[in-house]
Amino acid sequence: MATESETKQGPFSRWASSAIQDPEKAYRAMFYVATVFFLFTTLFPFYWLLVLALTPQDAIANFGFPPVPNGFNPGAFVEVFQRVPFHLFVFNSFVLGVATTAVVLVLASLAGYVFGRLDFPGRGPLMLLILAVSYFPPAAFIIPLFRLFTGNVSLLGVSSPELFNTPFAMILPFSALFMPLSIFILATFYGQIPDGLEDAARVEGTTRLGALFRVIMPLSAPGVATAGVLTFISVYNEFFFSFLMTTGEADRWAPLVWGILSYQGQYSELYNLMAAASIVGVLPVAIIVVVAQEKIVSGLTAGALKE
Amino acid sequence: MSVPTEDGIRDTERSGPYVSAVRWMENLNDTQFAYLLLTPVLLLLAVIAFWPLLSTFRMSLYADSLVGASALGEFVGLENYVALLTGQRDVVLVRPFLDLNAPFRSALTVTLIFTVASVFFETLVGFAQALVLDQDFRGRRWVRVAIILPWAVPIVIQGMIFFLLFQPNIGFLVTPLQQLGIFTQTPLTNAVDSVIILVVADVWKTSAFMALIILAGLQSVDRSLYDVGRVAGASRWQQFKMITLPLVLPSVLVAMLFRTIGAMRVYGIIETVSGCNTVPSLSCLVVTTFRDSRMYGTSAAVAFITAALIGIVVSVYIVKYADTEEAAA
Repeated sequence: MATESETKQGPFSRWASSAIQDPEKAYRAMFYVATVFFLFTTLFPFYWLLVLALTPQDAIANFGFPPVPNGFNPGAFVEVFQRVPFHLFVFNSFVLGVATTAVVLVLASLAGYVFGRLDFPGRGPLMLLILAVSYFPPAAFIIPLFRLFTGNVSLLGVSSPELFNTPFAMILPFSALFMPLSIFILATFYGQIPDGLEDAARVEGTTRLGALFRVIMPLSAPGVATAGVLTFISVYNEFFFSFLMTTGEADRWAPLVWGILSYQGQYSELYNLMAAASIVGVLPVAIIVVVAQEKIVSGLTAGALKE
Repeated sequence: MSVPTEDGIRDTERSGPYVSAVRWMENLNDTQFAYLLLTPVLLLLAVIAFWPLLSTFRMSLYADSLVGASALGEFVGLENYVALLTGQRDVVLVRPFLDLNAPFRSALTVTLIFTVASVFFETLVGFAQALVLDQDFRGRRWVRVAIILPWAVPIVIQGMIFFLLFQPNIGFLVTPLQQLGIFTQTPLTNAVDSVIILVVADVWKTSAFMALIILAGLQSVDRSLYDVGRVAGASRWQQFKMITLPLVLPSVLVAMLFRTIGAMRVYGIIETVSGCNTVPSLSCLVVTTFRDSRMYGTSAAVAFITAALIGIVVSVYIVKYADTEEAAA
């Protein structure tokens, strides 16, 4: 019983004595305290954004604790779209996310098939090589890529295409960066499809690639969905290349990053608009998390533990 | 079916590029087929990752060209690295690379401080969150959503949240903290305050990642071990220490590895919250040096040192991980 008092209920001495009588009760209470604490700490920042967004700009000062909106001005959520073409920035992020996800799913399917179902010399080293990419800091790639995408690298007298300020300057690095995780998720799922099913499809007359895309991929739909959701969220989250591969105009494919930063830059005193823009920007991923939480959990754990 | 059958390929007289491509692919052996399928991925990685990495290394061996049309100066070997690590290059950098007298002003130390602090607190918080999520209770699904949510929040919005939390005058947070003597009046322009805020921001966003990996470890622990422990008279704390902790240690190490790598390349949150001028992380220094001053050689050397540091950390973790795996087995 002595050990019970070591589990930190220190200040609540009266409580501790009842806890010694009934440790289970104490653990249950500790659990509730921890749960409430985590709910508060993770959700409070979103509440703070809401408080700021609803408070009129000129009333934003000296909030007490707990902060409550100082007035009620839902118009900020409309103004966000009027000052800056915020919808375009969000749309650009969506297009980049969907395009990257499509590229990643096709290419990672090919590689996932190879690593999940084929045995061949060089498998281990190649896997490590692909994995290594996700370890390197984006800063180690940025200077050459910047020069490549601004047409400053030439090979045999042909200079590289001008991709800066186009979606390609972001989709290409995103695909390379987020591909490894998808490859590992898909390899796991593809590897679980029994050989018999593939053989049957082949006997029925599909080609090798046909078997992959018509039989193995559909049978691994949960894995494909997981890889897709994680890739999309990663792109929507990304900062480094989103920030450095465009000059920031909405009609030049600048994503959400620039939409938010334009408030921080141009309208640096309009805290209510910054908060409202942030809430608008969070909504799409918040919906994805609520709908696809199982996929996110399984994908992250499977991907990480596999590696 | 428009796709020719296997027999069809051999027997029919049909030809054309598609049919001959299919026929060629069907006749490859497994190794050839594997490498064929990997070609697009390897090509992409070659252009976007491996070539740039080698190119960065090459650039790091050349002097900065501050005048003239060419991007690089003369070949200087490892001089850039020596200059950075001995603090000689600091006078020309936007921020110092290594200044032991002002650790919060120099990129290398601020990155290491940030990494150690954030990974430490993320491990604690993530472990606690995992223990909560491991329980069976009503509404668990929604608690899990709430805990994952910060992880999915775009970095730029995470930055905006903490930028807005620590604005002077508007905040309910800054004034009390300042009265307690913890923060200065404008914490976002103070290097020490900002590093603390950035660690909090990082813990807020990414301990969920830690929690999920550790949760997976917790749920793979054989529950009958706890029955054995109870019968043997072990308290909950003893059960935790003797059963849970050693068995989830590998998962914890994996999660720590990923978070360490993430923390060492921190950039976006700094740019949004306090700016690279206040907190110069290694990635910050790479960007400011190359974008604002076009000092390719020095910038590339900083970038390569960052990559090398991460490489060292990865190797150390792998050795450590192999040890715990062996101990657990």
